[in-house]
Amino acid sequence: MNDTVVLSNDQTDCLQEIVNVAMGQAGDSLARFLEVFINLSVPRIRLVEAEDLPQTLTEMVGHSGLISAVRQGFYTADDGNGLRGEAIVLFGDTSFKELADILAYEDDLDAQAESELLLDVTNVLNGACLSGIAEQIGTELAFTPPSVLGQHIAAKEVVTKDNLLWMQALLVEINYSLENRSFNCNLMMLMPEDAIEVLKFALDKLLEDFD
Amino acid sequence: MFEFTPTKELLGFIVDRINVGVFIVDKDCKVLLWNQYMANHSYKKQELVYGQDLFTLFPDLPQKWFRKKIASVFMLKSFAFTSWEQRPYLFKFPHNRPITGGVEYMNQDLTLMPVKNDEGEVVAVSITLLDVTDVSVYQTMLKEAMSKLELASQTDGLTGLNNRAHWEKRLLEEYNRVQRYGSTLTLIMLDLDHFKAVNDTHGHLAGDAVLRDVSNKLNETFRESDIAGRYGGEEFGVVLPATDLQGAMIVAERLRQQICAAPIHYDGVDIPVSISVGLSEYNPDADTHEKLIAQADEALYQSKHSGRNKCTSYPFDSSVT
Repeated sequence: MNDTVVLSNDQTDCLQEIVNVAMGQAGDSLARFLEVFINLSVPRIRLVEAEDLPQTLTEMVGHSGLISAVRQGFYTADDGNGLRGEAIVLFGDTSFKELADILAYEDDLDAQAESELLLDVTNVLNGACLSGIAEQIGTELAFTPPSVLGQHIAAKEVVTKDNLLWMQALLVEINYSLENRSFNCNLMMLMPEDAIEVLKFALDKLLEDFD
Repeated sequence: MFEFTPTKELLGFIVDRINVGVFIVDKDCKVLLWNQYMANHSYKKQELVYGQDLFTLFPDLPQKWFRKKIASVFMLKSFAFTSWEQRPYLFKFPHNRPITGGVEYMNQDLTLMPVKNDEGEVVAVSITLLDVTDVSVYQTMLKEAMSKLELASQTDGLTGLNNRAHWEKRLLEEYNRVQRYGSTLTLIMLDLDHFKAVNDTHGHLAGDAVLRDVSNKLNETFRESDIAGRYGGEEFGVVLPATDLQGAMIVAERLRQQICAAPIHYDGVDIPVSISVGLSEYNPDADTHEKLIAQADEALYQSKHSGRNKCTSYPFDSSVT
């Protein structure tokens, strides 16, 4: 493994702390927005090799059933900072009707409404979580429109190994579920090597300030 | 090189005149900014919309849904998006392909962006609107081409029936359904009698005409829900979902009689045609769909051996020849 991208113990602790705090805030604002209590897992941070990603996706979902996946790009809005990556949200093929209900969809849930719902929820989750992380390392994120990677597919089909032009990426994994509802999903924030460098730099600055 | 610092006036001018819709609304969806592009396409002048309620100005907007979007930007202090692929348009704007577009209104992608004050609180939402009509037109053309290709890859060129690969896939689907949820199905395999002689005597074009004619009769005889396909050269298969052997035999017998009663006219010649048929209903012995095909085939060859132009169902008494 390329040592330059590996986070030191201090850096990992610091990032874990930041993500934990961001999750708390995100859970709070999501709960207010959706008017339903949100259960969040403790975020898990690790490096993944490109070739392991399909397997990682399957393990994250935890079953071999069908899922739908949406991706969304993010990058720092500040000039030339260079933090960038993609967030992928995986939805189990559970009751979408429930989600539609929560997000005030008026129409019947046809295929189009279903994908719009996936995009909306992805955007809301990413906006809440990732912005919180960015804020704490003193930057602000901008987002690209989300797009559907696939609907009703197996988790390992979400990405094609050959299309991954990076070797390692930093993966922050968060699981969501809604209280008293059957809905749950997995959010993974992925940053490629050069963005990890930027992140490490930002973490070091934070650590210095603490000392 | 001269020093260049864009003035506020210049930036304002660009926002106003840029070839993209830009508008800003406050928490109550009152319009705070409306650029020229929005004015031109909505036929609503800037001075008439400022301070007005967006939904009063445009009663057609999906209000509940759009308010929730705006609310999400205020509450989560983050971006929101809409895409033409899910909602082709929000505003009923004309587009610049009124002749060749094939869509009624301009297709739009919207980006909703929080406008924050110095304290970081969201005070308004800035919305940019992109005309993606061209993209949607190309995407629609691509989809049409793809579905034509898909159909072509499933169809037998000569007869227009399902080709073998697709027919077998459909058989497998029906077979799996019966295995999982019960009910039954019957498989009919049929083969033209002495087809080689038709080719040899009347030529291959005549042979093609015979295959097409039999295919037409198959289509006329069977129901919409039955699945007919060309299995091989002159062999055809039909899947009859939710149909028992008795019911399938009645249809198969009718088809056999029709075909042998009406010779095919080709190039001034009447070519007599008959078929041999084998049937097999879903049964425990056929534990794969291939076995079911094999059983129906066996019955078909029994029809051949016992004189052709007849229907045999599996299992049969092989001592009768």
